[in-house]
Amino acid sequence: MTPDEVAFELTVDGVRHEVTARWSESLLTVLRDRLGVRGPKTGCAHGRCGACAVRADLGDGAPHVLCACLVPAATAAGGSVATIASIGGPDGELSDVQEAFLAEGAVQCGICTAGFVTAATELLETNPDPTRTEIEAALYGNLCRCTGYGRIVAAVEAAARTRRQQEAP
Amino acid sequence: MLLAAPCFALPETVGEALTALADRPDAIVVAGGTEVMPDLLWRNRRAAGFVSLRRVGALRGTTTVGGELVIGAGTPVAALTGAPDAGLRAAASSLGTPLVRTEATIGGNVVSALPYRNLLPTLLAGGATLELTSATGTRVVPFDGFVTAPGRTRLAEDELLTAVRLPVPTGFADYAKVGRRNAQFVATVSVAITCRDGAVRLAFGNAGPTPLRADAVDTAATALFAHRATAEDLRAAVAAAVDPPEDTIASAAYRRHALGVLTVRLVTRAQGAAA
Repeated sequence: MTPDEVAFELTVDGVRHEVTARWSESLLTVLRDRLGVRGPKTGCAHGRCGACAVRADLGDGAPHVLCACLVPAATAAGGSVATIASIGGPDGELSDVQEAFLAEGAVQCGICTAGFVTAATELLETNPDPTRTEIEAALYGNLCRCTGYGRIVAAVEAAARTRRQQEAP
Repeated sequence: MLLAAPCFALPETVGEALTALADRPDAIVVAGGTEVMPDLLWRNRRAAGFVSLRRVGALRGTTTVGGELVIGAGTPVAALTGAPDAGLRAAASSLGTPLVRTEATIGGNVVSALPYRNLLPTLLAGGATLELTSATGTRVVPFDGFVTAPGRTRLAEDELLTAVRLPVPTGFADYAKVGRRNAQFVATVSVAITCRDGAVRLAFGNAGPTPLRADAVDTAATALFAHRATAEDLRAAVAAAVDPPEDTIASAAYRRHALGVLTVRLVTRAQGAAA
């Protein structure tokens, strides 16, 4: 290890890794380039587009969705990260939100999709019946240059509706 | 200390953070990383390491002590979107995106000290004070005067900003900004207001090199609030008090005009709230 490197432990999608990285490296760089975890995408790399959104517990017991590009990776030492790979089933089964994105035509080029699904999944965990305004507010940090957002909002509404119907007594 | 490498420290207490900083004088103190990481990416800033405050639990959260809100410097902006102070709430809610607000902290917003930072006018209008902690103890200074130039503050090299204190809100408070577009924008100019017992206090962002307020503006605004002056009087007082920058985003003349418009708008809202 060189003096400008730092070594720490990080759990990604349930798998524990020993990471050695330069002190300034972002969580996104460590995930993609050092660990080969390619679910989070590199879009703007400065917190505007949300393509790198993951759900992370940075060791403070308050897991939440964040931009992996903005987090110095070593601040997550001992913490855990759940990427899009944790949202579907272990054998590639799609989650209800992912199914809704496909059914509603909310996926075009796909670079934003993992981030949108991550943010939308978090929204439905905390607010099972969001209004259109609440959906737009929750997805404000995710950019899509293909769809115009209409199909994405429709997909989140559809996923929420399906989930409520399934959970109704 | 959770992690201590030559160029990286991950302290768990303020004391450990101060020690880590003393051992690494050329390191940057980083909290959320939302400003520092893009700065390093674009080579806007050089650094020789990080002292991360991300895991110092004592810096997070808001308490009420003796009539003041004491907001830990590491409290994320997302937590302030539900703050009891309506001005702080409005400024926090329009900062960045939800994914940025969970990481960006009030302390980072204050110490980065750029003229367009969302929370600064609110803290100036609200009469905030700052707790600055070093190995020798804690001093409390007014936020007014803390920022000395864009990106420069009175924080000493061996100090950390540990908390921001605001009087528990009574009365009306709000915040408004304009920018180049309607999403994810930094303030071309911004204005914060408090109105307590008929006394209006205003503060401006990006209206000069540092957060700015003026007694003449507050006098004119208080008079307008009480229908003893006109909106034109207030706009003239604002135009005379501010010294806005001229840059590629907007001319100084545009900023001066927009500051007058936002100011009158906020005083009108305060009148509406009092009616």
